[in-house]
Amino acid sequence: MSAPSDRDLIQRARRGDAEAFGELVVRYQVSVFNVCYRILHERLEAEDMTQETFLRARDRLQTFDDERLFGPWIRRVAANVCLNHLEAQKQPAPLDEERAAGESHGPESQVESRERSEQIRQALASLPVHYRVVIELRHYQELSYDAIAAELQIPLSDVKSHLFRARKMLAEKLYAPDR
Amino acid sequence: MHLTDEQLNEYLDHETDDPAEMELHLAVCTDCARRLSEMKVLFSEIESLPELAISPEFSARFMPIRSEHAGLPRSLTVTMILQAALVVAGIMIAAPFVIRFVSSYAPGLSIPSFVDVFLQMQTVWMAWLDTLSTLSFPTLSEIPVVNVSSLVTIFTVIGVSLLWLIGNGLLLRNQVK
Repeated sequence: MSAPSDRDLIQRARRGDAEAFGELVVRYQVSVFNVCYRILHERLEAEDMTQETFLRARDRLQTFDDERLFGPWIRRVAANVCLNHLEAQKQPAPLDEERAAGESHGPESQVESRERSEQIRQALASLPVHYRVVIELRHYQELSYDAIAAELQIPLSDVKSHLFRARKMLAEKLYAPDR
Repeated sequence: MHLTDEQLNEYLDHETDDPAEMELHLAVCTDCARRLSEMKVLFSEIESLPELAISPEFSARFMPIRSEHAGLPRSLTVTMILQAALVVAGIMIAAPFVIRFVSSYAPGLSIPSFVDVFLQMQTVWMAWLDTLSTLSFPTLSEIPVVNVSSLVTIFTVIGVSLLWLIGNGLLLRNQVK
């Protein structure tokens, strides 16, 4: 028997089927967690915000437009939840020493790849919050400039400047030491 | 004149108004092409960042509880209702044949018909109503008891048990599927 579609699960969840909503959580918890982690860079906080994202999604499920895809929508909710969380904190999130899952011993290339991933994570973590969020929305959620501006309620020119500066800072952190 | 970093960013983001014009320039300007290539590497590195796995503790905490007491699937519920109806119908249809069969092997045995049993029950019910209407507490000896032979009881119990077992077997088969 084929797995139920997201739309089926959403409709069942709206009727109060907790198991259907649970299935949606299982499907999207990893991607939502990664959105939170890329913005917050602290595992426990990212886990809390992942939970908060799904709670908020459950509350908004009645008004969710069935024509939209659930995955991009919930990831966008996650980005907003994290942004609100950071704004409420008004202090930079501490950097987590987290390493990618499954690391231990392996081929040299894998170790190098993990090290590079960690460098990119650290570079992303060092960006100001608003830069991090536009990078998240542009590169990981593939939103257009207009969509980002609408999502963050900022002018289009700010989206462009945040994005360009964020990339410049990343390039300096990731490539400058080699030069 | 070279392209600005902003223009190159917009080009890679597919947000430029006239990509064809930029491509013409990039085809002839090695400096701009090199800068574009460097930006592409950055974009690629950002986007190829592997996803982290969630911790087992978080997964366990967050995993929705799949209740073992969740309601049965609709198909199973319908099957159960149909089975129950079939069992009742089966008993009603089989009872006269069973009684006739038992009577043929034990001619001396007196087995009441359904009508007799119904009339007996009605009599008992009326007696109960009479007893209750007097508001007196009857002694045990005054309570009328339906006399059903032990053989009928045994056959009925065996029949219902068999149907019950067959029904459960069908239910389990459905669940395995």
